[in-house]
Amino acid sequence: MYKYSDTDKKIIASRVKQFENQVNRRLEGKLTEEEFKPLRLMNGLYLQLHAYMLRVAIPYGELSSKQLRKLAFIADKYDRGYGHFTTRQNIQFNWPKLPDVPEILNELSLVEMHAIQTSGNCIRNISSDHLAGLTINEIEDPRPWCEIIRKWSTFHPEFSFLPRKFKIAVIGCDEDRAAMLVHDIGIRIIKRHCQVGFEIFVGGGQGRTPIIAKKIKNFLPKKDILNYLEAILTTYNQEGRRDNIYKARIKILVQELGIERFKSLVEENFSKLSNKELEIDKKSIEEIFQYFRLPPLKSSSDKIPLEDNQEYKNWIKQNVIPHKIKGFSIVQISLKEPKKPPGDATSNQMKALAKFSEDFSFSEIRVTHEQNLVLPHVPNKELFNLWSQLKKENLATPNLGLITDTICCPGMDYCALATARSIPISQKISNHFNNYCKQKEIGNLKIKISGCINACGHHHVGNIGILGLDRRGEEFYQITLGGSAKEDAAIGEIVGPSFSETDLIDAIEKILNTYKKHKKNKGEDFLSVFRRIGIKEFKKDLYDNFTEKS
Amino acid sequence: MIILQKNHEHKNHYKKIKEQDFLKKKISNGSILTISQWREVEHIIQAQEIDVAIEFSSDACILCENDKLSKVAMIQINFKTFKDGRPYTFAKMLRKKHNFTGELRATGHIIPDQYIFLIRCGFDSVEIEEEHKETWLELLEMDEGLYYQP
Ligand code: HEM
Ligand code: SF4
Repeated sequence: MYKYSDTDKKIIASRVKQFENQVNRRLEGKLTEEEFKPLRLMNGLYLQLHAYMLRVAIPYGELSSKQLRKLAFIADKYDRGYGHFTTRQNIQFNWPKLPDVPEILNELSLVEMHAIQTSGNCIRNISSDHLAGLTINEIEDPRPWCEIIRKWSTFHPEFSFLPRKFKIAVIGCDEDRAAMLVHDIGIRIIKRHCQVGFEIFVGGGQGRTPIIAKKIKNFLPKKDILNYLEAILTTYNQEGRRDNIYKARIKILVQELGIERFKSLVEENFSKLSNKELEIDKKSIEEIFQYFRLPPLKSSSDKIPLEDNQEYKNWIKQNVIPHKIKGFSIVQISLKEPKKPPGDATSNQMKALAKFSEDFSFSEIRVTHEQNLVLPHVPNKELFNLWSQLKKENLATPNLGLITDTICCPGMDYCALATARSIPISQKISNHFNNYCKQKEIGNLKIKISGCINACGHHHVGNIGILGLDRRGEEFYQITLGGSAKEDAAIGEIVGPSFSETDLIDAIEKILNTYKKHKKNKGEDFLSVFRRIGIKEFKKDLYDNFTEKS
Repeated sequence: MIILQKNHEHKNHYKKIKEQDFLKKKISNGSILTISQWREVEHIIQAQEIDVAIEFSSDACILCENDKLSKVAMIQINFKTFKDGRPYTFAKMLRKKHNFTGELRATGHIIPDQYIFLIRCGFDSVEIEEEHKETWLELLEMDEGLYYQP
C-alpha cells in the first residue's frame, strides 16, 4: 500500500490548518457562503437535504485496516454510526456538523486520509480497478499511476477552478471494472510492440447528457502522461463552457468541437507547453511501484474447503474469485444485504472487517465502484472460517453481479436535488428477488438506480437502468435497457412510458420474462440477449398496446 | 485599494486611459489600455520610453499569435468572479507561449485563498481592499512552499 512521504504528511497537515482557518472565517462572517462554497467543496463538504455531507477520498479504492477503523470511529463519534461507500470509491458521512469538520479532517490525517478534491470544480479523487494488482491478465498495476496522477492533481494551482468537476479513472487491463469510459478522462494501460504505455479516452460522463468517452490517443509513452493530461486540462480550462452549468463538462466541449478538432488543440498544447520537469523518469516510476508490491504471499496448493453448507457454497460460487497467486482467493463482500441501503456499512461492520482483514488478508481492504468491498488476499484454507465470521456480521450476502447487487444513489431520502426516492426501490428489488436460486437463474444483471437525472446511481449504464422522476408530485420510474459500464460501454435506451412505484416490480418481471424467452442457452446473459434481439421485443411484451411504428 | 506584491504593499502607478486621451493618442506613463487599443498604438509606443499596461477581463483572455508584448510593462487581469479559472491558464500562456516578462496583476473578484495559486501560475501582484490585507498576508504566511507540481 502507498505510504505517505514527509511531504505528503506536511501538505495534508497544512491543508487541515488552512481549512480550519476557512471555517473560522466563514463562522465569523468574513467569507460569504458563495465564497466559502468552493473552498468547502474542495475539502469534500457538501450541503445536503438535512445536513452537511462529508465525502472522504479512498484513493484508487485502497484501505488499510487502520484506516477502516478510523472511518468506523468517525461514523460513531461524528455521525450516526454508519458510512456510505460511493460509486467513485469514496465514503460519505451524512451527518457531520460544520464546526466538527476540521477535527474530523485532523483525525483522518492521522491515518493518511483526507477529503481533498472529492467535490468541487477540480480534479477529483482518481479511481481505479478494485482488482488492480490481483489478476493474471493485467498488463500493469494501475494504482501507481493513480498515485502519480493524484499527486500531480492535488492543489494544482492552474486547475482548481475548472468549468466543472473533472473525473479520471485508470485501468490496467482490457476488462474495465472502473467504468473508465464514462469518465472525463479514461486511461487504459496497454502494450504495443513490447512497450507499455497508455491509451487515452476523453469526454465521457453521465449526468443529464450521458456520453461514452472517445479515444484521443492510441499510444502515449509513460513518461508523457502528466504533460498530456496537462494539455487536455489546459484546453478544457480555456475552452470549456462557463455560461451554462449543464454544458460545462468536458464531454460537451468535445462534442461541440468534435474529437478531431479537440485533439488538435490538445496536441498543440502538448507540443508547445510540455514541461521537462513533468516528465516521469524510470527511477521515480520504480520508486512508486515499490509501494504497491504484493504482500508476501506464498503460493500453495491449498484448496477451498468443501463444506456441506449450501449458503457457504453459494457464497463461494458468487463472491469468491481466484487470486493470481495459487492458494489464495479474492473475497468480494457485498454491501447489498436485503434490508440496507446499497453501499452502507455500519461502524460495527467496518470494525469487524478491519479485524478480518488483519486476520485473513494482510490488513488490506478494497472499495469497488459498485459499492462493495473486497478482501484481496485470503488464503484458500481460511475461506470457511472467514465466511462463518462474515455471516455473523451480515456481510456474507451471496449476490455479487446478480440482480440484487444494485448500484443506487441516496435519492430523496438524503439528496436535495432528488426527484424521487431510490433506496426504497433498491430494497423492493432486493426483497422481491431475495432467493439465490431465482437470482442465479436470471444470471449476471446490473440494475442501477438514480433519484434524478444527475445520474449518481449510474442508471444510464445499467443493463436495466431506473430513473426516478416527479410527475405532478407523484414518483414515476423510467426504465432504460442495454446500458453497460464495462469495456463494451453503452448508454441504455428508454424502453417507453415510465411506471409508478407499485407497477415497477411487475415491469421488471416482464422484462426478465422477455429475456428468458429469448435466451438461447444457459450462459447467455441479459445484455447479450438484449444486443441480439433489440429493444422492440421488450417493448412488445411490456406494453399491451404496443404497436410498431413503421 | 492597494497593490500587494508577495508581502509588500505598494501604490498603484497605473490608470485606465481616458477615451478622449486615447483618441488624441495622448498615451502617458502608466496608462492602462485594452488589447485592441494596444494593437492600434503599439508602433508609437515601441519608440517611447514609457510604461503602459494592458487589461483583460477574465472572460476574454484572448491574444493573437502576432501580438507583441515586449514593450508592455504590465498586464492586468480583471476577475469577473473568483470562480473563473481561465486566467490561471492564460497566465501560463503569457509566460510560456508569448514570453511575457513584465508584471502580471490580478484584480477584481479574487479571494485570499487563491493567493498562492495566483503566484504559482505566474502572477506577481494583486489589487485588493486595504482592509483585507491582513487575511491575504496570513494565508501567504501559512504556505510552507510544499507542492506536488514543479
Ligand atoms: C447527496 C448528495 C449528492 C449530490 C448533491 C450530488 C450531485 C450530483 C450532480 C449535480 C451530478 C451531475 C453533475 C454533472 O452532470 O455535471 C452528479 C453526478 C454524479 N454523482 Fe452525485 N451527488 C450526490 C451524491 C452522490 C453519491 C452518493 C454518489 C455515489 C453513490 C454520487 C456519484 C455520482 C456520479 C458517479 C456522478 C456521475 C458522474 C458524471 O456526471 O459523469 N453522487 N452528482
Ligand atoms: S442522482 Fe440525483 S437524487 Fe441521486 S444523489 Fe445524485 S443528485 Fe441526488
